[in-house]
Amino acid sequence: MNKQKRNLLIAMAFLLPNLVGFLIFTAGPVIFSLFASLTNWNLQEPKSTSYIGGHNFVELIQDKQFWTYLLNTLYFMLGIPVSIAGSLWIAILLNRKLKFMSAYRTIMYLPSFTSGVALMILWKSLYNPDFGAINGALHSLYGFFGLHWDTPQWLLSTKNLAGLEVESVELSRSQFGIGARDAIMYMGIWAGIGGSNMLLYMAALTNLPEELVEAASLDGAGRWRVFRSIIWPQLAPTTFFIVIMSTIGGFQGGFEQARVMTGGGPAGTTTTLSYYIYSKAFEEFRMGYASAVSWILFAIIFAITLANWKFGQRGLNE
Amino acid sequence: MKLEFAAAFACLTVVSVFMWKSQPNQSVQGKTPLVWTSDDNPLRKEQIDLFNRQHQSLNLQLDPNNQGLEKVIVQSLAGVGPDLIDCRDANQLAAYVKAGIAWDVTEELKSRGIDVRAQTWACMHPTAIYDNRVYGVPTNCAANAIWLNRKVFEELKVPIPKTPWTWQEFIALSQKLTKRDSSGRLERIGFLFDWWNAYHFVATFGGREFTPDGTRSDLDSPQAIASIQLMHDLVYKYKVTPSPVEESGMASAGGWGSGTINTFGSNRAAMALGGRWWLANMRSFKGLQLSVVASPFDLVPACSTAGRSTLINARSPRRKEALEFLVYLASKEYGALINDQADGISAFKAQSAGPAFENNPRHPEETYNSTWRQVTETAVGQEGSPYINGQVAKRIFDKQLDLVRVDAKSAEQAMKDAAREVNEEIKKKLAEDPILFQRWTSATGHAP
Amino acid sequence: MNREPKWIRLGVIAILIGLCLTMLAPFTWMVLTSFKPLQEVESVNPIPKSWQPNNYQEVFNKVHFARFYANSVFVAAWVTFLTILTSSMAAFAFCRLQWNGRDLVFKLYLATMMIPGVVTMIPNYAIIVKFGLLDTFSGLIIPASFSAFGTFLLRQFMLTIPSALDEAATIDGATAWQVFWNIAMPMSRSGLVTLAVFTFMGNYGSFYWPLLIVKSEHMRTLPVGLMYFDTMYGRTTNLMMAASVMSLLPPIIVFVLLQKQLIKGIQLGGVKG
Repeated sequence: MNKQKRNLLIAMAFLLPNLVGFLIFTAGPVIFSLFASLTNWNLQEPKSTSYIGGHNFVELIQDKQFWTYLLNTLYFMLGIPVSIAGSLWIAILLNRKLKFMSAYRTIMYLPSFTSGVALMILWKSLYNPDFGAINGALHSLYGFFGLHWDTPQWLLSTKNLAGLEVESVELSRSQFGIGARDAIMYMGIWAGIGGSNMLLYMAALTNLPEELVEAASLDGAGRWRVFRSIIWPQLAPTTFFIVIMSTIGGFQGGFEQARVMTGGGPAGTTTTLSYYIYSKAFEEFRMGYASAVSWILFAIIFAITLANWKFGQRGLNE
Repeated sequence: MKLEFAAAFACLTVVSVFMWKSQPNQSVQGKTPLVWTSDDNPLRKEQIDLFNRQHQSLNLQLDPNNQGLEKVIVQSLAGVGPDLIDCRDANQLAAYVKAGIAWDVTEELKSRGIDVRAQTWACMHPTAIYDNRVYGVPTNCAANAIWLNRKVFEELKVPIPKTPWTWQEFIALSQKLTKRDSSGRLERIGFLFDWWNAYHFVATFGGREFTPDGTRSDLDSPQAIASIQLMHDLVYKYKVTPSPVEESGMASAGGWGSGTINTFGSNRAAMALGGRWWLANMRSFKGLQLSVVASPFDLVPACSTAGRSTLINARSPRRKEALEFLVYLASKEYGALINDQADGISAFKAQSAGPAFENNPRHPEETYNSTWRQVTETAVGQEGSPYINGQVAKRIFDKQLDLVRVDAKSAEQAMKDAAREVNEEIKKKLAEDPILFQRWTSATGHAP
Repeated sequence: MNREPKWIRLGVIAILIGLCLTMLAPFTWMVLTSFKPLQEVESVNPIPKSWQPNNYQEVFNKVHFARFYANSVFVAAWVTFLTILTSSMAAFAFCRLQWNGRDLVFKLYLATMMIPGVVTMIPNYAIIVKFGLLDTFSGLIIPASFSAFGTFLLRQFMLTIPSALDEAATIDGATAWQVFWNIAMPMSRSGLVTLAVFTFMGNYGSFYWPLLIVKSEHMRTLPVGLMYFDTMYGRTTNLMMAASVMSLLPPIIVFVLLQKQLIKGIQLGGVKG
């Protein structure tokens, strides 16, 4: 047996357990779903499954709900820059010798690490317009300042800060306000701001050459100047990584929030693409169509990641 | 390192055996298990026990965790579905039949002397009969009427209304029965209803979800629009019904049944739209003085929206045994039990009649059983359409209703949009299925 | 940064404390509410007037909470074990062994990490149904045990280990299997721990997949079981909060104990990216 073949066999022996599972549960399904998206497979009427070519995709483009939910997904991603900026800010705050560093870090990371159904159920109660703690606190705050504003309806309202209409892709004055979409976005920011991004920035900051910063401030540069010209560019690779991962995650997200807190409502305003796929696949059983939507989602993520990459590379190389 | 992994593996294996052994045992010695998917209404226990006593070789169990059309269908197709399935409306029945998991029991029932069409109330037929074939037996019947809280009526010095009455008269009365405190919060609610009961309003106005032949959506008819408009106005114009926000504050805990029942039972509302099955919960509220009057209506006197039929899973290996349960549902003992428990009223006409039904010695204050019977006699059920997936139709309707409920859309616009979307879905379905297409064209006389 | 004026330093600490309070506030509400009797849940005052610690007992009475807990931990433990085993072996193959097509296959692994999970849900569900694994432990464990992420992370870790050691061992006649167990694995210990923690926590909180395939009540995992308290039959908020507190304890304890490992893992995975 020649050396190359022998090496291959040895490698396979190690790789196989993982590879088999990978093929069956990841790679295989991916290919399978590509084929499924070209059929009209409906779990409730399995006998009538047949090849329909790109018909699903055509229907997709004309599907008003698809575009609306894409918009919802994008709306939720508006919180990402805020979250990243917040993580950076906290990382900078923590980048000094502090007595209770470990405690601060643990507390900041807590919402991110424990994120899940339990937290969402908690926030659903907090957001209750009549008895929730959030409106209770807001009420006291308004009272303190003598304001007679109404507290927002949060998860029951279709309003949002961009004035997005409910069923179509347009803006309207009557829908301006604070509602379900914003509620979920804020919860996301709370959960994400002290999370892994913060830890990554902290690591990057400790790797900053101190002499550069010291030299600059000795030269009389103000804090902001130091930040903009020295710290920020040094953090570029980290920011790059964070932006890409957050974008990918953002496009795929929203399922748990929708399922646990709002059921996708009110009137479809908190349905993101991933929830739409679930609903089409496991509530309407239109597996073929749901697969098509999944692939479009993947294509979008891929395109944006590629664009991010190219743009980021250029930024890194400057 | 290897040692650690080996130890971990050994531990896990031991724990696995323990976990596997500690699974609750599903089947009882020697008896054939039957699984019934229904809700976990505490009354089920007695209903099931009675059946098990009569059939010693069978062991019927309730599975309340997997109701929901989607779960039942997928599990049944995967071979792990229940044996008996509760079906709540025509749309669900259509879905079950189309998926091939509703067993056509027309002949089997006939040979046991059960004729669903002749022997049960008309309002329950859509939940058991599809395309003229019988798939199940109605389990109970829940026509809607108006519950009155006499205490609140006396407190506000309003006389008990006389029937028949129109929605206009109703509005005037409910306004008299509504009181708000100085900050605008509802102290006494004039009228309570659940939005999922929307079809009751549509029906009493003379509207329908689909045209009688099922080929088109009828939600954009003036009657249907007017009915939804009324629901909206009761909340936002006449303000006799709490808004969704006020409602969410009332969804309190404990007890089976929607928040509406609990709110009504705690004397906070004067009137509520509901069925006789509310009694099962309300009997536990002390000191409630109730009356029942038929619903106001413009065209159709009453509607049933909460009754169920039980179907048999066509893919179950225990179909024949499951048939015994359907026969049980038609029996006198079961009918009497339902009437006594007040789990709605018995779906079989013969059993909801006579002095035994009118006056239940254990609940002498329930003097209104004859009203329930009258209401049920005249009630209609919610019909579906063979040309559209029932769940899709429901989803479209619910979404538009949701928008009206939060005052984000006018009733007229919402219903028109719903009708349009439903008709589009029908068109899509016809394009996929040539047989349906044939049927549709011959039914309407023209192409879609 | 040592020559920071005092007032800035104090200001920073004040902000940090404020942030910490914001982070902790919802948790505090959760714990306080879990001790309230039902009538008080809706009151404005966050602190219970009468403490009802037997809410925690009630949770176990109302649903098979102990069972959900056991299920979650059991499934997560198996998934962790299998993931670590298969991922470390695969990482070794990608990192230490030379073979044709190695980099190509690795890029394939990476590519799939970008695919939205929903894409694989539907076919995975069909496979599970076909093999009759619906509503079983195997159905919960097996599909979750083969992770591309795990392989990726461990490969990064292994790359940081100097290859001089195993080269020496190979010259001495050791087989790949021996190199793996006696050199690569012990040196990757911190990476293994990191992956173990991540996998365990990830699977413990997994919601989508159990939601799809669990049918019976006794097979539910914690996230799905928690939803039980928020049904149309009324929301028992205080019990729900008690259940949530109990379900959040394992992640919190794990984090407090294994902070350093975790953070190192995140940073290694991210920075080398």
